Amino acid sequence: MKKLYVIGLLFLLMSFTARKQLFLTPKNWPDPWYNFSKNKLSRDKIALGRALFYDPILSKNNTISCASCHSQFSAFTHVDHALSHGIRDSIGIRNAPALMNLAWQKEFMRDGAINHLDMQALAPISNAAEMGSSIDSVVYKLQNTKRYPSLYFKAFRDSSITGEKTLKAIAQFMLTLVSANSKYDKVLRKEAKFTEQELNGYTLFQKNCSSCHQEPLFTNGKFANIGLPIDSMLKDYGRMGITKNPEDSLKFKVPTLRNIEFSYPYMHDGRFKKLSEVLNHYTKSIIISKSVAPELINPLILTSREKVDLTAFLLTLTDKEFLFNREFSYPKELLLNIK
Amino acid sequence: MRFTISIFLIILISYVQTSFAQKYSPILITFSPIIEEEQLVLHKRYVLKDNDTLSIENLRFYISGIQLFNNNNLVWKEKNSFHLIDQEDTNSKIISLTVNKNILYNKVSFNLGIDSLTNVSGAYGGDLDPTKGMYWTWQSGYINLKMEGISSLCGTNNHEFQLHLGGYQAPYNSLQYITLSIDNPKKINILLDMSEVMKSIHLKKEHHIMSPSDSAVKHSNTIANCFKIASP
Ligand code: HEC
Ligand code: HEC
Repeated sequence: MKKLYVIGLLFLLMSFTARKQLFLTPKNWPDPWYNFSKNKLSRDKIALGRALFYDPILSKNNTISCASCHSQFSAFTHVDHALSHGIRDSIGIRNAPALMNLAWQKEFMRDGAINHLDMQALAPISNAAEMGSSIDSVVYKLQNTKRYPSLYFKAFRDSSITGEKTLKAIAQFMLTLVSANSKYDKVLRKEAKFTEQELNGYTLFQKNCSSCHQEPLFTNGKFANIGLPIDSMLKDYGRMGITKNPEDSLKFKVPTLRNIEFSYPYMHDGRFKKLSEVLNHYTKSIIISKSVAPELINPLILTSREKVDLTAFLLTLTDKEFLFNREFSYPKELLLNIK
Repeated sequence: MRFTISIFLIILISYVQTSFAQKYSPILITFSPIIEEEQLVLHKRYVLKDNDTLSIENLRFYISGIQLFNNNNLVWKEKNSFHLIDQEDTNSKIISLTVNKNILYNKVSFNLGIDSLTNVSGAYGGDLDPTKGMYWTWQSGYINLKMEGISSLCGTNNHEFQLHLGGYQAPYNSLQYITLSIDNPKKINILLDMSEVMKSIHLKKEHHIMSPSDSAVKHSNTIANCFKIASP
C-alpha cells in the first residue's frame, strides 16, 4: 500500500514538472492558430519529434534529414542554397523558408499548398527531389529500429508506430521553435532601447513595409505579388498553382522577417543574397502586372541613408537565443549513442 | 477478498454486456462493387460493350458520416464515421453499426469522401492515417477515391488509367452526399455499378486525374450516382 502512495506522489511530482510551460504565447502576441487540444504537447513527444527532425532515416537512402535543409544557425533555412538541395544532390524548385513561430501560421509552403502543420512533413518525405521516400516506408523503417519503438512508447504510452503519431511528433518539435527575444522584442518590453538609427528605420518600416510584414510576427500570413520578374527556367507562378485563380498569379506567402540577418538567400527562389538587393528591388525593380500588390504599384521611395537605417532596424530582429537554443539543436543524447 | 472482487466484476461485466446486447443490435452495411452484373474481381479482364476491354487494378474510396433516417427525420448517426473501403480487403467492405434496437429507419445516407473540416484539421489515425496512401503529399488533402486500371480505350503507355479524385475547397469540392432508400433494415447491401461508371467516364480523353479540378468534381458526382441498394 505504502508503495502505491510513493508511486502516486512521484506521478504527481512528474506531472507538475512536465507542466513547466512547454509553449508560451509571448506577451501582446495574438493567439496561436494551431489547435493544441488536438495534439497536446508533452516533453517526450517533443523529444521524439526533435529526433525525427534530425534523423536522415526519413529519407530513402538515409542521407537527408529535415535539418539538412533547415539548419538552426540560419533560422532553420537552407543556408547558402538559393534552391534547396535534396537526395542525391537533386535541386528543388524553391528556396527553403526559415522555420519559426509556426504555431501562428495557417498555411505552409510559399504557395500555401499545405493546410496544417501536422501534414507538412509528408511533402518533403515524399518529394523525389527532397527525401524521396514515403510515410509508409518511413513508418516501416522506424518500426525496425532499436531506438524508435521505445521513444514512441515514452511519448504515446504505446510502442506502435503510425503515420499520425510520426507527423504529430514532428509538428510538436516545430511548434516549440518560437523566436520572440530579439532586440526589437526587448525594446517593446522596455528592456532595451533602439539607437537613433534603428528607431528611424523602425518608423520607415512601419510606413512602408508593415502592411504585409505585420508586427509582431512580421507577416500577415497572406499572399502577395511584390513584382519580382518571373524566372524563365522555373516558371513559378506561386499561389496560382494551388488555387488555379489568375488573380493569384505570382503571389507568394509573405515571409516573416525575424532573424532575416541569418536566413539569406532571400525570396521564394533565393534570388537575392543581401538585404540591400531586397531593398533595391522594392525601390527600383518592381514589375507591374495585374496581380501586383496595390501598395507597390508606385515604387517605394527610400534614400540611401534611409535604406541603411531600415537595414539597421531589420538587424534588431535577430534573436540569438533562438539561433543558439540547445533545445532546438541536434539531439546527441537521442541519436548518437544507442543503435 | 480478491476472489470475491473478481467474481463481482465478472457478474457486473456480463450484466452490462447482456443489457447492451438487448438494447443494441448490429446492422451490417456491405459495399459491393459490381461490373456487368457480377461482383467485381480485381485484375480480371472484362469485355464491355463495343469490345472494349477493362481491368480494374485498384479501387479504394472513403465512406464517411453514415446516418440513418426515418421518413427524412435523422434518427441515428455514427460517431467518428470514417471508413476506407478497399476492394482488395473484404473486411473493409463490411461496416458494422451498433444501433439501438427500437430505432426505425428507411433511409441511409453517407458521404463519398472526407469532409472539408477533417481535411484541414491535421493528422488522424485509423483509416485516415496518411500511411493508407489516400492523402496527397505535395498539396494537403485526402484522396476521396482511387480507381486505377487498364483499358483498351486509353491511348497511354500500357493503356493505364489512374483516377485520384479529391479536393475539399471551392470550386473543386468533390465530396459527394449520397442518400439511398432501404427495404430491409437489417442488412444493407450497397452496390457500386462500375459498368455504369464506365459509361460516363471517357477514358479515351481523361485517363489521369491526380489533383483537385473540374474533372475530379464531375467524375466524383458521376460515381456517386452509381451507388444503389441491391434488390433483396
Ligand atoms: C531538400 C530540402 C528540404 C528537406 C529535406 C526538408 N525541407 Fe522543409 N522545405 C523545403 C523547401 C524548399 C520548402 C518550401 C517549399 C515550397 O514553398 O514549395 C520547405 C518548407 C517547409 C515548411 C513550411 C514553412 C513555411 O513557412 O511555410 C516547413 C514547416 C518545413 N519545410 C518543414 C520540414 C520538415 C519537418 C522536414 C523533414 C520531414 C523538411 N522540411 C525537410 C526544403 C526542405
Ligand atoms: C505587398 C506586401 C509587401 C510589402 C509592402 C513588403 N513586402 Fe517584403 N515581402 C513580401 C512578400 C510576398 C515576400 C516574399 C516574396 C517571394 O517569396 O518571392 C517578401 C519578401 C521580403 C524579404 C525576403 C524574406 C525572405 O526570407 O526571403 C524581405 C527581406 C522583405 N520582404 C523586406 C521588406 C521590406 C524591408 C519592406 C518595406 C520596405 C517590404 N518587404 C515590403 C511582401 C511585402
